[in-house]
Amino acid sequence: MEYEFEKRRITGGIGADDEYWRGLERGEFRLPRCAGCGRWMWPAHFRCGACGSWEMEWHRTVPKGTIYSWTRSWYAFERVKERAGDVPYVTALVEIEGAGGARVMGVLVGDETDLRVGAAVTGEILPPTEKAKGYPSIVWRLADASDAVPSPV
Amino acid sequence: MSRLRGATAIVGIGQTPYYKRGTSPDPELKLALRAIVAAAEDAGIDPRDIDGFISYASERNDAQKLMPALGTKEVRFASLAWIHGGGIPGALSIAASAIVAGQAETVVVYRAMAEASHQRLRVAVAQNDTAAQYLVNGLESPAQILALRSQRLLQAHGVPRSTMKAMAQAAYHHARNNPRAYGRNTVLDDETYENARLISEPYNLFDCSRENDAAVAVIVTSAERAKDLAQKPAYILSAPMGTLAGGGAVEENIRPFSCAGQLGVARRLWAESGYGPKDVDVAQVYQNMTGMGVGSLIDHGFCTVDTAGEFITFDNLIAPSGRLPVNTSGGDLAEGFVHGMGLVTEAVRQLRGTSCNQVPGARLSLMTGGPGDTMTSTALFGTAETL
Ligand SMILES: [Zn+2]
Repeated sequence: MEYEFEKRRITGGIGADDEYWRGLERGEFRLPRCAGCGRWMWPAHFRCGACGSWEMEWHRTVPKGTIYSWTRSWYAFERVKERAGDVPYVTALVEIEGAGGARVMGVLVGDETDLRVGAAVTGEILPPTEKAKGYPSIVWRLADASDAVPSPV
Repeated sequence: MSRLRGATAIVGIGQTPYYKRGTSPDPELKLALRAIVAAAEDAGIDPRDIDGFISYASERNDAQKLMPALGTKEVRFASLAWIHGGGIPGALSIAASAIVAGQAETVVVYRAMAEASHQRLRVAVAQNDTAAQYLVNGLESPAQILALRSQRLLQAHGVPRSTMKAMAQAAYHHARNNPRAYGRNTVLDDETYENARLISEPYNLFDCSRENDAAVAVIVTSAERAKDLAQKPAYILSAPMGTLAGGGAVEENIRPFSCAGQLGVARRLWAESGYGPKDVDVAQVYQNMTGMGVGSLIDHGFCTVDTAGEFITFDNLIAPSGRLPVNTSGGDLAEGFVHGMGLVTEAVRQLRGTSCNQVPGARLSLMTGGPGDTMTSTALFGTAETL
């Protein structure tokens, strides 16, 4: 399969997360574990600092968790100006359930009324878009109030 | 105790005026030269004798470009501390290490910035190392990325937003007395702060640092030589750089959570210097954003998440008599921003007794590096009596 994001690769960061983006582009949410010791390792890296293994296994994971933190952007910043028309928009950092505490970013869609640290969210996968700079992405939506976990505050 | 404790001192400081970004009459390289020559003159040394050149982050006015215009006799040491504003005290530490190791005698630590015609300073400063996780999801600016840290501090740890306002108001208050300060005409009362336009929640315009064209330089030399020079030395007691396990380039997965990421360097700072938070007379706190300055004060042990609301108040933060006067020149928010380097010169002025907002008899002067960086550093300077 040819992946769209690979044509417009963003070179900052560690650069060991190709499988994450490939997974999203196929419509799957996958996070990595070390093949040697089984530790979740996010963000992905080239070697497990705990056991020394060079192998990762990418596990299909349910995109569900709680908001670890969030911000609402009120300005169209230069390098993400593709989202200028959406200002103000919310980006959430979400702690994924059952993935060793991995925190994964995504834009929040839908109702923002109960937005707060600790709120439960579920993810939906979007194919590559201009707004996401040619990458596939996960967007978060606040879960129904009945599913929400209590705020830690 | 570290071998570097008190072994070197800052003996000269120099800087250009702060210009509005993009309006400097001089290109970066000339700004750097002006600041370096001014620092040498302040120290009473010949610029030709500078044999070490150190900067940090994305500085590109390197020794090779500077030496013909300075008349440098010999470059013996040149280096760059990695990272962004987190590297400032780290650059001083490299200078001290080079001097103690006998690799150089007179070292300049400097930073120059002038906005290129088509690129915002904050874009240049990012050095193209922003991970896809951020950019794909609409985050690129430090204001947005660090907003995630501060939001967590406020909503999960219960630190009141009043701490951010106090940090901003103290900076603008101090700038009123500083003729160099770019923000000296701004009166930041409660209403002005509360009604400011939002940038990236929880930050508004006044929570964010400026971007200016300017250059700042300091001269570092051995403690022995410092005694014979023109100015009262500001001894470098400790300037550790680093990151704890669980930190680094982890895309907001730092564990345990720390707003500023300075728990490790702060611990080393106190251990190496032999002093603690209660001993500090005045602090220049790097504030890319107010909330990160709050995080620095917490990580350095001036208060905890539980006591931050009581400690970080306007009255406590202002010179001359607050419990911990902070950013007495106006700092990154209200004086001007050359990637935080202006904080070093102000920390030195406090020990000389020449600040616009002098803390009487200041002996121990703290300067914290860029908080929230994936690696960071911090420094404590002292007068001769603190050695
Ligand atoms: Zn492992």
